[in-house]
Amino acid sequence: MVDFHHSSDSEAADSDEELQRAFAAGKLKPGLNVVVEAPKQSINNVTGMKQKLKELQQGLDWVERLDLTNPPAPPPPGSNETEGTEGSGVEETDNDFKRELRFYRQAQASVLTGLAKLHKLGIKTRRPDDYFAEMSKTDDHMKRIREKLLEKQQGIENRDKARKLRDLKKYGKKVQQDVLQKRHKEKREMLDAVKKFRKGQKDKLDFLEETEGKGKGKQQNRHGKTDQPFQPNRKRQYKNTKFGYGGQKKRGKMNTKESASDMSGFSKKINQGKPGKQYANKNKKGNKNKRPGKTQRQKMKNRQK
Amino acid sequence: MGKRSRKVFEETKKNEATKELTDEVILQPVITSDEPPAKQSRWINKQRALIFSSRGISHRARHLMIDLRTMMPHSKAEPKMDRKDKLFVINEICEMKNCNKCVFFEAKKKQDLYMWVSNCPRGPSAKFLVENVHTMSELKMTGNCLKGSRPLLSFDNAFDDEPYLSLLKELFIQTFGTPNHHPKSQPFFDHVFTFSVTDNRIWFRNYQILEEDGSLVEIGPRFVLNPIRIFEGSFGGPTLFTNPHYVSPNTHRQLIRRQVAQKYINRVHAKKSLDERKPEFTYRSDITDDVFVTIRPEDNQQNG
Repeated sequence: MVDFHHSSDSEAADSDEELQRAFAAGKLKPGLNVVVEAPKQSINNVTGMKQKLKELQQGLDWVERLDLTNPPAPPPPGSNETEGTEGSGVEETDNDFKRELRFYRQAQASVLTGLAKLHKLGIKTRRPDDYFAEMSKTDDHMKRIREKLLEKQQGIENRDKARKLRDLKKYGKKVQQDVLQKRHKEKREMLDAVKKFRKGQKDKLDFLEETEGKGKGKQQNRHGKTDQPFQPNRKRQYKNTKFGYGGQKKRGKMNTKESASDMSGFSKKINQGKPGKQYANKNKKGNKNKRPGKTQRQKMKNRQK
Repeated sequence: MGKRSRKVFEETKKNEATKELTDEVILQPVITSDEPPAKQSRWINKQRALIFSSRGISHRARHLMIDLRTMMPHSKAEPKMDRKDKLFVINEICEMKNCNKCVFFEAKKKQDLYMWVSNCPRGPSAKFLVENVHTMSELKMTGNCLKGSRPLLSFDNAFDDEPYLSLLKELFIQTFGTPNHHPKSQPFFDHVFTFSVTDNRIWFRNYQILEEDGSLVEIGPRFVLNPIRIFEGSFGGPTLFTNPHYVSPNTHRQLIRRQVAQKYINRVHAKKSLDERKPEFTYRSDITDDVFVTIRPEDNQQNG
């Protein structure tokens, strides 16, 4: 509620006179004096109301009245609603969904208790399916409601379909490009294989047969890494970085933090080992494929015989 | 052969006669109209509600009134009352129609809708401001119920806390609840009226009971009642209760306008105060301070 300070001109005269009178009487204290509204007087005649309530009550059975007073039913366990502690009045009224849900749950609780009571009294509550009688809303009206609901549903479905088609189009385009690339690659490989065969490098014609395990069993590269599509030679890659795009040396940073701390060109054996013929022995563990001495060879020969 | 056929014919006729006796009620050949009709001994709670309005009512309020009349089979209609007549005339109208409850809609400025609910001969009566009216014919209210079936009345726990709310609760039960075995009522229970208290107002909802396990759908109408006053008598008499939180719609509109105006006033005040507070000289500087300042060539380069 907004508090008013009566400062409009029409009332200034009255308040001035009042102030003068009060000052003359010695009631005013120094400082800023502001006119404040008197607190509203509300009537709450509790005894009168209770008496009236007694007069009003009829003393009928519950069946005649069908009234139920109950708090809202607890929310289902899966939902993230706070039961019990409801927000302050204004906050809850602004949150439409919460408020309506509270009313719904209150009605639900009443329905459950009310119907149970009626069943105990032996009164039928459920309308049988073949009981046709006049309804509050006409059939025509219900038809319109149904049509509106269907329309809404249709709208949602159409929107979803359109969205799916759009996504599919994008995805389809990508797929198409991939398929085309694959075909080109296969064609190229085939032609290369034929050329090699013609030139006499390959003697078997097995490239003509369809390789089944092409997709599944990827041929492992010699270095143990799976070959990415169309990755050139390592030497070629280095040359690309160095000379690619007309030689990028000019634009590239050279002595940066990363490049200075880069230890890939450092070999412990060469730089930290003792100088001399040590680097000549390439394999510390001894030469592989070392040829056995004469006596050993003789022994092996005799063993075979 | 002829004899036999006659016998058979007679027998069949007798059978038909007995059959008629067991299936149908045989009416008297002559009935006098002076005889009073059979009394409905099971209808004890004789409540009759008069639902009508004053002139100058909007279409939404009119539809709300019609919806209430559909929902309450114990209601009676009345043509519009002139606004010139005083309100206690309504008591006489009710007496003439033999009604003991009254729901009266009053519209002011074609904008604000007030509702009176009253127990006619002796009181009490209550005046409400009706807000947020949605009628039954809105397409978002998808439920439906038997016309004239008895509603279950569901009240919030808050109705037992305050004395004025418990008085209103009793009034609502007697006004909105359909009496048992009312001749126009229908047998089964398929809808529930909900009264809840939020933000010092009474919220009304009407739900259809779809399944016995408690699934509900809203039928409508729905409205919010803001209690203004409760009187001891019907449409008059000493006041029992006034609502301290009630703000009349006129005051409410005035408040809004003033708040908007306050913005402009504040801005004008702020401007004025700035003019008053602004000093002539931001800070006092000596002109001779510039004499020995040398302008370096770099500064010149940057600027030019």
